[in-house]
Amino acid sequence: MKAVYALYAEPDDVQRAVDNLRAAGLTEPEIVVISSEPIEEYEFSRRDAATWLYWIAGGGGVIGLLFGTWLTRMTELAWPLPTGNMPIVAWWPNLIVIFELTMLGGILATVITLFITAKIPAGEPKLYDPDVADGKILVGVENPRDASVAAIEQALRSGGVADLKRR
Amino acid sequence: MPHRWGMAVDLDRCTGCGACVTACHAENNIPTVGPDQAARGRAMHWIRVERYWEGEFPDAHLKFRPVMCQQCDAAPCEPVCPTYASHHTEEGLNAQVYNRCIGTRYCANACPYNVRFFDFFNPQWPKPLHLQLNPDVSVREVGVMEKCTFCVQRINAVEIDAKAAKRELEDGDVKPACVQSCSAKALVFGDLNDPESVVSRLSRSPRGAKLLDDLGTLPKVTYLSKQTQA
Amino acid sequence: MNQALAQRLSDDLLRPMLHTSWRFYALVACLGAIVAMGIGTWFYQMYMGFGMTGINMPIYWAFYITNFVFWIGISHAGTLISAILRLVNAGWRRPVTRCAEVITVFALMIGAMFPIIHLGRPWLFFWLMPYPSNRMIWPNFRSPLVWDFFAISTYLTGSVLFLLLPMIPDFALVRDKTTGWRRRIYGKLALGWQGTTKQWHRLESAMQIMAIAIIPVAVSVHTIVSFDFSMAPVPMWHSTMFGPYFVAGAIFSGIAALIIAMAALRKFLHMEEYLHPIHFQNLGKLLLMMCLLWAYFIFAERLTTWYGNEQSEMEVFRVTQRGSFAPLYWTMIVCNFVVPFVLLSLKKLRTVAGCVTASFSVLVGMWLERFLIVVPSLSHKYLPYTWGHYRPRPVEIMITVSTFAAMTLLYTLFAKLVPIISVWELKVGEHPFPQESPADVRQHPLWKAHP
Repeated sequence: MKAVYALYAEPDDVQRAVDNLRAAGLTEPEIVVISSEPIEEYEFSRRDAATWLYWIAGGGGVIGLLFGTWLTRMTELAWPLPTGNMPIVAWWPNLIVIFELTMLGGILATVITLFITAKIPAGEPKLYDPDVADGKILVGVENPRDASVAAIEQALRSGGVADLKRR
Repeated sequence: MPHRWGMAVDLDRCTGCGACVTACHAENNIPTVGPDQAARGRAMHWIRVERYWEGEFPDAHLKFRPVMCQQCDAAPCEPVCPTYASHHTEEGLNAQVYNRCIGTRYCANACPYNVRFFDFFNPQWPKPLHLQLNPDVSVREVGVMEKCTFCVQRINAVEIDAKAAKRELEDGDVKPACVQSCSAKALVFGDLNDPESVVSRLSRSPRGAKLLDDLGTLPKVTYLSKQTQA
Repeated sequence: MNQALAQRLSDDLLRPMLHTSWRFYALVACLGAIVAMGIGTWFYQMYMGFGMTGINMPIYWAFYITNFVFWIGISHAGTLISAILRLVNAGWRRPVTRCAEVITVFALMIGAMFPIIHLGRPWLFFWLMPYPSNRMIWPNFRSPLVWDFFAISTYLTGSVLFLLLPMIPDFALVRDKTTGWRRRIYGKLALGWQGTTKQWHRLESAMQIMAIAIIPVAVSVHTIVSFDFSMAPVPMWHSTMFGPYFVAGAIFSGIAALIIAMAALRKFLHMEEYLHPIHFQNLGKLLLMMCLLWAYFIFAERLTTWYGNEQSEMEVFRVTQRGSFAPLYWTMIVCNFVVPFVLLSLKKLRTVAGCVTASFSVLVGMWLERFLIVVPSLSHKYLPYTWGHYRPRPVEIMITVSTFAAMTLLYTLFAKLVPIISVWELKVGEHPFPQESPADVRQHPLWKAHP
């Protein structure tokens, strides 16, 4: 996997580099910013990007709710055994099981969506540099078109004190 | 009209002899746990004779009360069993299904009458005592709950015979072991859905009361209060 | 961020994982022996029959159910610290969050063993799961024990995921900082995490949702555990107050367990730089608040019982406060209220040592409280002829002791294999939060607008 990237020490430099890359004509999905911690104050972190995750969690909750309602009602009617003068389909106790399965549905939906959209566990090896673990921030482009490599390097260099690397 | 089995206990007639307890043990293969376990509170008397003293010697009065499973219509032991081992039958009995029981003992805690018992160990019947076991009743293994069933094996046997002979059941056809062995005829068993049966008439008696009926368990055993001085 | 600081954080927090002294091995060996004895005792109990315990008629639940409620209660530590403090953006939670979540997961695992240990036929515990079986029967959803199964399963799943998700970036860090077999194993565990902005964004959103979801689940779990008691017509069990009462008690014992765990980490892993006295001060204040809340619930319950003067309930009331359970009851009051109240309300005494002492006292008191809920009520039910007494037997004591050893052992092993303080969360906390207010408001502070 080919990549062109630079390592910066300061988030300000990273912001400049990202802006330069955008000016050089690269689109958002092509620019990769990697850090050892989430850096929330800067625009490059896309902190304000809308997320569908809340709706997906809600959807998972609804699936859990429907499953719980079906499970309790179906099993109580499938082999009805009267207990303690209570109705065969007892809604008060069923609500408890339905609640738990709703929450479980929301939790599992969230985690599964996270894994899918964050692409973990990763299949093929991805762009990474061990210096990131020491606090440096990586900005780069994976699999760049050969024609734009020079422009990318120029953009990255003008971001600030950079450690330019090519893979 | 399905049967609805109930009992009446006449406390005026009960002498506290304990024949019902012995008969129940014999009929239902209930193990005797031994003196050590009994001292630890693990005796398994599906029917027990409760004994209460009133007053001081020499004016002490003794009261006896045989207590067995009340086969409650709103039994608190039934909804709490996670495996439906304790459930209600169509004839109004609270059934205990040994094979479903995993021994959580929740039913015993929920029972206000404390008439449910747990098999703490595998019961032993050293030879030749094993010959006295009743083949109509299962032997329970360690870890399950058991209790009075109104001798459901006798009820089933009589019902099957009556069906085969194409006749109706009469009052007094079914006699659980305790009822059969009571020398004072204090215990009466019968169909509460038959308004003419002895147990129905006794349940309507002005002396009649239910045990702990303010708890809302709807028990089916009527206790006729003691009127005479002992 | 400051490179030197980042490197120091990584070095300090990974050091416990990379350097092992003989003391670690000795501790693990001792605890492992106790846990092995506990497991052996359980097998002995299963082989010889449940009669090896002290259970009898009418006290059919005792030590094992006490332990069950106790450990599930301890598990509420993590949810409170990780989830609630995360949602209210309390920055001081950052070093503490993983310590707390680990307690939750392990306490839940231990607590969830007890419904199996206390069964008469434990090899059939799986009948509580709803699966189509050839017995043509399903679990009884009206039973609080089945609710327990669903609640604890959901909470365990949620807590494990809540613990594991933020561990992924830290596994990537360990992978980068180590070599050899460690690099390979942690590399696998890191699941190929890169740290792109998109991944961080998704992870933080997921954590936010998990935090929101796990709090109602935690509340529901201990409420459902309390329903095991309040659904039965037993004197002083059948109380509408049990739900909130148990949840308050759970959070109370959870915070105490957390303080003890943090103090142990601070001392034995030399984390004085990261777990400051202010953390203990803050948690101590929370512990004090829960102490007062617990005292309020006890007072409300006892007052209602005494004022109502119902015969069976008053018998249980009498036997706990003045009868055979009185020594345990008053010990509980001292341990749960008097000692923590004194130690935690006086600022001079609210030191690390003071908080730890109060926490040990609370753990003893809360265990006794669970015992005093379960056993006195069962021993004095409605028919006086059936009243009984209970004495624990060696199997119950051994298994109880081994669960404490098991908790300590699991915690020790975890601190060895995973950074016990979340490195990336701590790094985030080192730089200020993004400005939330719009620029023009910052130009006109309130005190200047109204002279």
